Amino acid sequence: MRDRILARVRSALADREVVAHPGAFPGPLHAGPVIEAFTDRFRAVGGEVERFAGMDEALDWLEGFASAFAGVAAGADVPAELATKLPTVPARDAPLGVSMARYAAADTGSLVLDSKGGRLPQLLPPTHLVWVRADAVMATLDEALEAGRGDLPAVLALHSGPSRSADIGRVIVTGVHGPGRVVVGIVD
Amino acid sequence: MDVHSRDYAARARAILRDEPHVREAVIGATVAFDQHRERAYGEVDSDAWRAWASDVKSHALTNLADYLEEAESRLTENGVVVHWAETAADVHSVLEAVAADHGVRKVVKGKSMLSEELGVNDALERQGIEVVETDLGEYVIQLFGEPPSHIVGPAIHRSLEDIQELFHRVHGTPPHATPEDLAAAARVALREAFLTADMGITGGNFLVAETGTLALIENEGNIRLATSAPKVHVALVGIEKVIARWSDLAGMLQLTSRAATGQAVGTFVSMIHGPRRDGEPDGPEAVHVILVDNGRTGMLADEATWEALKCVRCGACLNVCPVYRQTGGHAYGWVYSGPIGAVLAPALLGLDEGGALPFASTLCGACTEVCPVRIPLHDMLLTWRRRTVEAGKAPATEGLLLSAYAAAAKRPALFRLGAAGLQLLPMAVTRRLPFLKSWLAVHGDLPWSKPSFLRRWKAGPK
Repeated sequence: MRDRILARVRSALADREVVAHPGAFPGPLHAGPVIEAFTDRFRAVGGEVERFAGMDEALDWLEGFASAFAGVAAGADVPAELATKLPTVPARDAPLGVSMARYAAADTGSLVLDSKGGRLPQLLPPTHLVWVRADAVMATLDEALEAGRGDLPAVLALHSGPSRSADIGRVIVTGVHGPGRVVVGIVD
Repeated sequence: MDVHSRDYAARARAILRDEPHVREAVIGATVAFDQHRERAYGEVDSDAWRAWASDVKSHALTNLADYLEEAESRLTENGVVVHWAETAADVHSVLEAVAADHGVRKVVKGKSMLSEELGVNDALERQGIEVVETDLGEYVIQLFGEPPSHIVGPAIHRSLEDIQELFHRVHGTPPHATPEDLAAAARVALREAFLTADMGITGGNFLVAETGTLALIENEGNIRLATSAPKVHVALVGIEKVIARWSDLAGMLQLTSRAATGQAVGTFVSMIHGPRRDGEPDGPEAVHVILVDNGRTGMLADEATWEALKCVRCGACLNVCPVYRQTGGHAYGWVYSGPIGAVLAPALLGLDEGGALPFASTLCGACTEVCPVRIPLHDMLLTWRRRTVEAGKAPATEGLLLSAYAAAAKRPALFRLGAAGLQLLPMAVTRRLPFLKSWLAVHGDLPWSKPSFLRRWKAGPK
């Protein structure tokens, strides 16, 4: 089967002129300060962004933020120093999921998440808190994926705002399957 | 799936006559999609992006055998089991075997047009496997027992009222529930399905040869869940989905999203490199990719239409098509509708079944104008019309009309004269022209506007 398909492909292309690869994507937008650009783009699609000058500031904020939740499912790659004091519960029951992004991309407002720490905390809880280091926020998706190339996990995923659908009556509804609330914490 | 493309004219008439609300819903949705696309194209150098994307796809397609082999090697190294399928029946056999190996009783699906083309749901159900569509639009039409009517928005032909009534019946939601309430009811039902299913089935937007990456774009998170929660993931991937390089991906993801919905990128993108790895807390224990031909190698050999294989299934050509907008996708009687459907149908179904669809077009060229990979769709529609006529498979009036059109189109003065003449004829006469009769039967007498459609189109939006 495989060989028959490949033979048909080769025969189909026997007289076809080969088209050269066009090289690098011409598109990346460079839109001023990177973290501000990411923040604007992520908020424009309904996401939330918090920025912290350092770990102490982040932890102060986290204490208040976490107090609204009864339990947490956190990715294994979230640094221990950013752990909440909430009880750990399975992702399917957790009101809050926490992950660590490898990168973020300003031009598309995307977080680049990894399967290494676990996928379900990124997907099942209705609220998703994602930490990202300020120096991991790239200007473009092109750069973020290039940075990730050397270590491709089982899944590299882009999350670019809350889960949404316009399939019912053309009204945008959030939180259909994935998290309806996504909060990004950018730590310098 | 059942195919009824040869009945296009009758189906289109029936929809226009019996289901006027479909036209209203489809026009509303497609105009909105197209406005979003137009804005999103305007934010970037879309001409440069599209020229680049066209070459990325053409490069991969003109080296397809090598890139398929490279993709197969990388996928295998990543721990993915690769299968090859020439026909729908081959795909069904692979699914049957994989499902049996893993004791699969319930499948959650991400939206996949290829799975519709292959009739996957029926095949699985015949084996006694429960199949649950998880994209909200797909879930809605599965409950209605209908096929999708649009590549990106499968349920755009259904109004809010239709869905309120459906969910009231199925889920007991209030008769006038809000879209939020309806989505919440679906979320509860589908969350249960994700957590109890044994297998997730998806399509694939791109397959990167260099890295063996399977890339999937979506907005809801259902594809991420279908590829993460069940113990097995099977992806159905047409052989034309291969692109050469990892560095092609960022651009292709963005352009496809802008063309489809006007987003900078879809809300969720999965870039999959195999099953759960050692030390990872979750994810499927097995990932299978089925590389599907089902007529695509035949298309590749066709000098005049092979470029249609560049299609990224964004739906932009449907949204802008004045013919699609009148009826939605069900009139086309097949999984792919609109201009791209009309180009694929004769190639994949043959002229007897698919030859009617290229006539479902005004040849206005709007489809070609918006295509993110620059497929010359209206040229291909004309090619298929000519072939259908030459094969003696077109209605006589269509053949005559096409010959006259072709003769006149070669002489612009004659063409303008003919168009002007048609405009000057009284309705009582034009109604007797055979090729206008069926059109008028559904549209009624309409005043002819002074400038032609094409001239108004070129003048741009008001």
